[in-house]
Order: sequence, then C-alpha cells, then structure tokens
Amino acid sequence: MDMVVCIKQVPETTDIGWDPQTGSLIREGVPGILNPNDKNALEAALDLREKHGGLITALSMGPPQAEEALREALSMGIDRGILLSDSLFAGADTLSTSYTLGLALEKIARFDLILCGKESSDGMTAQVGPQLAELLNLPQLTCAIEITVNRSAVKIKQKLEDGFRILETCLPALITVEREINRPRIPAMDSIIEAYRDKKVQVWAGADIGCHTEHLGLKGSPTRSRKVYRKKVKRGEVTILEGEPDEAAKELIQILKQKGLL
Amino acid sequence: MDFTLSGESKMMVKAARDFAEQEIEPTVATVEKEDALPDDLLQKFAKARMLGMMVPKEYGGIGSTTVNVVLILEELAKTGSAAAFLMAFCNSVAETIYHWGSEDLRKRFLPPLCDGTNYPAMAFTEPGTGSDPTAITTTATPDGDHYVLNGTKRFVTHGHKKGYGVFYAKDETERITAFMVDKGSEGYTWSKPWALMGLAGQGLVDVFLKDVRAPKEDILGEKGKGFYILLRWIAGERVQQMAFMVGMGQACLDESLRYAKERMVRGRALTAMQGFQWMLADLHASIEACRWWTYRVAAKQDEGGDIEVDSAALKLFVVPTIQEVARKALQIHGSYGYCRDYKIERLYRTIAHAGVTAGSTEIQKTIVGSALARSKGI
Repeated sequence: MDMVVCIKQVPETTDIGWDPQTGSLIREGVPGILNPNDKNALEAALDLREKHGGLITALSMGPPQAEEALREALSMGIDRGILLSDSLFAGADTLSTSYTLGLALEKIARFDLILCGKESSDGMTAQVGPQLAELLNLPQLTCAIEITVNRSAVKIKQKLEDGFRILETCLPALITVEREINRPRIPAMDSIIEAYRDKKVQVWAGADIGCHTEHLGLKGSPTRSRKVYRKKVKRGEVTILEGEPDEAAKELIQILKQKGLL
Repeated sequence: MDFTLSGESKMMVKAARDFAEQEIEPTVATVEKEDALPDDLLQKFAKARMLGMMVPKEYGGIGSTTVNVVLILEELAKTGSAAAFLMAFCNSVAETIYHWGSEDLRKRFLPPLCDGTNYPAMAFTEPGTGSDPTAITTTATPDGDHYVLNGTKRFVTHGHKKGYGVFYAKDETERITAFMVDKGSEGYTWSKPWALMGLAGQGLVDVFLKDVRAPKEDILGEKGKGFYILLRWIAGERVQQMAFMVGMGQACLDESLRYAKERMVRGRALTAMQGFQWMLADLHASIEACRWWTYRVAAKQDEGGDIEVDSAALKLFVVPTIQEVARKALQIHGSYGYCRDYKIERLYRTIAHAGVTAGSTEIQKTIVGSALARSKGI
C-alpha cells in the first residue's frame, strides 16, 4: 500500500512577528521544525507500512530550508521526500497550497492513501487536508485517532467534540490525524545517517508539476488578512481566598462560575 | 576550520533531546529515590542505536564519530542523570574493544554491547591503587588454556550487571594484561553499590575475583600491554566525561535563567539587575569555552590523533570551570538552590564527581605538566 504524507515546516517558536502588509508570518531568521501534528501522520503511515508494506513518500511545500523537515521524516523511516520549492509558491494560502500539493500528487500518481496532520501549529486552519481531498476528488476521513486498512477499504475512529464515530471508505482516500492517534517515534541514530547519506529529496519547481501560475502563491490566494494584532493580556489583581480549603474551593468555583469560566 | 555542525549531527542532537525528554527526565525522581537506573533503559538506548556508535556496522555499531557521541551525550547530560553516563560508557568500552580486539573478540563481544544485551565494565582501580599500575595486586595465573584471576576491583561501573568486563591483572611476567571476563563466571561476586553523593543509579560496586577463569584467547590486545589499553580508553572517557559536564553546565544556566526571569525582587525580575546579568554572562562564556574545546578534542580523536594530553588538559580546564558554573547557578537560586525540589541541587552534587573520577584533576596536571617537560623545540 503506497502512501503520501503531506508535511510542513513551521517556525520553532510561537513568539514570531507578522508582516503588516500581507499578514503573513515572518519566517526569516526563525528556526524551522517539522509540524508536530505531521509527525503523527508520518507515524501513522509507518505503522500502516509495517502491517501492509508499500512505499511512503513525504511531500512538502516550502523554501529550500524546508528540506530539513523532509530529512527528519526520512530519519523516522520514510522512503523518499519531495520538496515543492519555487518563488512562485511564496505567500500561498491554504487553497493555493492545496492546489500545488494536488498537482504534485497527480504527478506522483501512485498512491493508495494520503495522510495529513489535522492542522499546522502556525496557521491552525485545518483546511489543507480537506481541500486537497476535494481537489483530487477523493473521499476524506478527518480527525482520525485510529486507522485500520482492510484490503481496499479504510476505517477510522473519528474524534468529535462530544464523542467518537467510526467511518469507512474505499481507497484511495485522504485521512487527517489528531495528535493523540499515536506517539511519534524518535529517529534512531542509524536512520538519521541513512536519511542524510543514502536517501534522496527531490525538489520540484512550478514547471515540474505543470501548474497555472495564476493559482500559485500570493496571486492564487483569495485569502487576505485584513488586520493582524497581538492579543492584549490583561493582568488582573491577585485575590487570595482565605479560610479552610473546602470553603476556599467552594468560593473559587463560585467566582469561576460568575466569570463564565465554568 | 569549520565550526558548523552538519545537518546529520543537528538531527542527532534533536533526537537525543527528544530521547532525554521522553525516556530519561520522567525517570529522574525514581532513580534518585531507588539509586538504580530503569532496567529497560539499556534496551531503549539500543533501539535508538546510541550504543557502540563508533563501532562499524559489521560488528553491530553504526560507524559514527566521537563528535556525534559527544553532541548526543551533551543533550542527555542536561537531565543530570547517570543515564547519560551509561550511554557514554557503553560507547567508550565498545570502541576500546573494537580498537584493540582481535577479529574473534570483536565478533563475540561487540554485537551484544551494541544491541543492549550486555552491560560493559572496565575494572582497573583496586582498594590500594587508583592510578598507579605498579600497585595492582590482582593476579592472572596461567592454567592450561585459561588464566585464573584473583583479586579485588573497586568502583566497577555495572560490575554487577550481566555481560563481560575488561579486567586488568598482573600476569605471570608481572606485567599488566587486560582480560575479557564474564561477569557470570564462577568465583565472580560483588558488593552492594557504593552510595554516591550524586550520579544516582551509576552502580559502582566492588568486584571480588576468586579463581575466576578467563580463556587465553580472551586477552584484549597484546599480553602485558594492558596499561596502554587503559590509558587510551581513559583519554576517550575523559572527553565523554567533559561532554557530560558541558551538558550539565548548560542545564545549570538554563535553570538559572528560568529562575532569574521568574523571581521578582521589589517588583523586578532578577534578570533586570546587572549583578545577575553579569553572573549569567559568566556562566554562558564559561560553558561556551568548555563546549568548543570538548568538540575540538573529540574531532582530534576522530582524526586518529593521540588525545592523552589534550584530554587531560581539557579536563583540567572543564572540571573547575563547570564546578564554578554550578556554584554560581546555585547562588542565583538563593536558598531554593539548596532544596532537593530544585534541579540545580542535583546538578551541583552530580557535577562534583568529575574532579575525582576517571582520574583526579591533579593527575591531569601531572599528565600535562610532564608532557610539557618532555617536549622538545624550546
């Protein structure tokens, strides 16, 4: 069973700036890491490969330094990496990103399952996976916390706000996974050596995937950030609840209820 | 001169950091309480392929470098746990067996060290001697195709755990020979572990050898040349020990910085005060100097250079420097630094070990000083 895992490099820190003109994150000079939720997607793919075999490709779109995220995926045991990197892709919103990834997936052609993290730690839109499925006209199963493949069908346990549900569809399909689906493995040292010395990361530009430039990057992105601002944190006064612990706890609950926090 | 770490090395550091956070940090409190490392830790290191890293693949290792071992160790050492030392020790002993061992010894003894089946040991010190080879009293007497070993070895790390150890004894020619000794042999017994000031779980025991038999083909290196094996091993061990110190020094700074940013005095964080800023600056500069010198000596080892004097000089500098880092870090914490609830207290105790183990700081002075006295050209 061949799989493609879509991954993203995100800024390591949450304390980053915004471009006031475009509303985009300023990524220059900020170290990048592999999006934590994408590690769960990679781990899910590795787990499925152990049961069903096949080839796993990690696919990412980003600047040249995003290769590091792919190398980390390769270190975890992924078979090959493809980086979509072109100045034409810069400034893409989720729709343009999905379009570009979709074209790359059409070029890859051979896959049974696409796995994505539910969301990235920077944008947190959770849109790319579902949009990608729509563009490729594939069934989508989102927010998975369990995945089972049985011949040509795939079943997931989906996490809902107030419970779970079991969903099933035929392959090929796209699945987005939650953080709690698994605990991603730590790359072993010999796998890291292999990832850097023996495995390949292919770099595809716009011309390699045959795209229409009007759908790419900032130009192809209908989303506009009207205003970007930091949330002001109000520092209130400290209230110390005196008395017996039981009474203080009751008073605390009362206060929290009054504030609508409980 | 290139001071840039490769992508491969950076990824190893990241993996080591994740390993430390997930596999070591959660065990620290229990290890402190029980004075024993978790039984499954060695297997976890093996799964992460952190054992026998400098040993070629055909013997079960991964064919990496001393520099990478040092980088990984530095990350693990930030926990201040003896777990980091276990990883270092497995690597240094495996490298020694690879360097000196015959093809037969390599094939028999390296794979179980690299896959975490066996714990290593290195036994030279005795109740009557630490650094003087002439004072060794453990004997090895030939008996057919075996040697028979008798004597007592002191402070043997993991001497009580399954596997083979390198034991040094005076052979029939009164010279020191290194033997691979099965820790499960008849006549092999041990004391309860020494209770140490820090390094909980390190597992230092005394080993009693009573007519313990070691096959003649299990002599490591050349007969009568055991002391050279020890000297070379301990030079590499010093580099790893200093990486351990650098990691713990960094942890001292990290803890101090965290504390100083949170601790308010008269409405200001400690970090807003020049006196504390100066202390933090001292810590940072000291650690950076130790770090890069450690990397340099590790790189020289990878180049195949003789590091006996370099590693001694390194230790001579790093030990008092990081001990001072720990002292200042504790001072920044004020009274809290003296409380067991604070990590700095454990780091302070653990950092104290390096001045008196694997060769005291004073012995390093002798090594460096005598090398300078022998040097020519001036």
